[in-house]
Amino acid sequence: MYCTNTVSFKPASKTTSMSIQPYTEDQNDALQEVVNIAMGQAGDSLARILGHFVGLSVPRIRLVTVEDVIKTVTDMVDENAEISAVRQAFSNALRGEAIVAFAQAGADDLADLMGYDTDLDQSAEQELLLEVSNLLVGAVINGISDTLKTDLSFSAPSLMAQRTPLDQVLVPEQLSWSHALLMEVNFTVEDRDFHCHLLMFMTEGAIDTLRDILDEFMDSI
Amino acid sequence: MPASNATASLLNFIVDRAHMGIFVVNQKREILLWNQFMEIHSERKADTVIGQNLFEAFPELPKKWLDRKIENIFILKNFSFTSWEQRPYLFKFAHNRPVTGGVDCMRQDCTLMPIKDSCGEVQYVCFTLFDVTDTSIYQSKLEETTEKLRELSNRDGLTQLFNRRYVEEALGKEFNRARRYHSKLSVILTDIDFFKKVNDVHGHLAGDEVLREISRRLASGLRGTDTLGRYGGEEFLVVLPETDTQGAYVLAERLRKTVQAKPIEIEGASLIINISLGITELRESTAAYAQLIAEADLALYQSKENGRNCVTLFQPGF
Repeated sequence: MYCTNTVSFKPASKTTSMSIQPYTEDQNDALQEVVNIAMGQAGDSLARILGHFVGLSVPRIRLVTVEDVIKTVTDMVDENAEISAVRQAFSNALRGEAIVAFAQAGADDLADLMGYDTDLDQSAEQELLLEVSNLLVGAVINGISDTLKTDLSFSAPSLMAQRTPLDQVLVPEQLSWSHALLMEVNFTVEDRDFHCHLLMFMTEGAIDTLRDILDEFMDSI
Repeated sequence: MPASNATASLLNFIVDRAHMGIFVVNQKREILLWNQFMEIHSERKADTVIGQNLFEAFPELPKKWLDRKIENIFILKNFSFTSWEQRPYLFKFAHNRPVTGGVDCMRQDCTLMPIKDSCGEVQYVCFTLFDVTDTSIYQSKLEETTEKLRELSNRDGLTQLFNRRYVEEALGKEFNRARRYHSKLSVILTDIDFFKKVNDVHGHLAGDEVLREISRRLASGLRGTDTLGRYGGEEFLVVLPETDTQGAYVLAERLRKTVQAKPIEIEGASLIINISLGITELRESTAAYAQLIAEADLALYQSKENGRNCVTLFQPGF
């Protein structure tokens, strides 16, 4: 069991209706529960490492288009802001990619939170972002695979963008999919600037695989 | 996966001989397994390090950082990674490119894997260490080349000043910045007087030399924050952040005088060359950066009308 006393769920700031429903209501409920647990574990891991109270939004799960994705990240930070972003792939039973986007102001705060000198050189700052991303993604992946009794593995984190204007991080023309299942959550640290946004994407094939896994999971309980 | 005896000895063999470093530590950081790759590159036999504390056996390791990373695996039960791009190596090993390398020691990517007991508690951490020296060399060559290409694509071949695309881009960025922070921004557009005559009388090679020399003189008269580019044939654009028209006027006069200060010597001829200049600045009503260029161009036209070799400030109504 993980301890929840350092983690709190906050209501989501806004909800978006799905245009296409990939799952039945029961499947959706089950998935939401599984993702809540996994994201909660991620928040708990972060809280343990930072020694601070970590808040997280209610995880949102929805089918998105490429345009939605850009807007999702834009909602998080103001339009002119620069962000740093880390990506990791997950594979095995489910294939997809996870992206953790850090608002720049918060990235500066992170060094302090992690107990490092605040004027880090570029490599040290990158290493810190990779570390936190890996911690969150790893916890979520482990949480999902533990609950659903599936095997999931994940790749080493790599830097997608550092101090890059938002509109250059995800360029719609470079994305080769039209729809993806997006699971997302926001992490904040109480009284600090640090916040980050975890996005997990699965595209067509994985959406179907997940449906089967959810059915098996619901049969087993 | 229960392993038969045959499989177990096969696995032992593979772990030992695989072309990557594999070693295992327990919670006390004592080394429990040390494969052949680690033996060869550390020049330490397994039996001399097994049972020893990792940091005592290898005091050159970044202890504070690595110890914390290992501890986090015991706490979080999570895989962890290190990459050569942020931290070039954990162990200072020689690489197998002593001749063609160009880097001091082996670049390493590392994966730290939690090994759990039946209760799910982490008992050991397994390190796999990959030699990525080749990748790092290709990567830095690629970066060098990209940097060279970027530099080339921004420069005007003849004068070595920034080209039109670059200087317009710079103006666009400064325009956005000045709008956001309500700061000042001026531009100067300048044109060589009677340049066509230089070409006609002395030939195009002489004309090229005049362009190069004037480029040098313009560049020498600017401040570090100004951006100078060749805008057209004999036209140059200067972007002046944090500068109003007064400041821009002082600078423009300095450029005008610097250019005509001494004759340009070409092929036996000694030419006094003058320039005309037009200035404008960012105002509340300025719609886009292109408007600044258009206004400076109108002011420049006015300088030409006024007899050349002078500076004109743009005024609405030109």
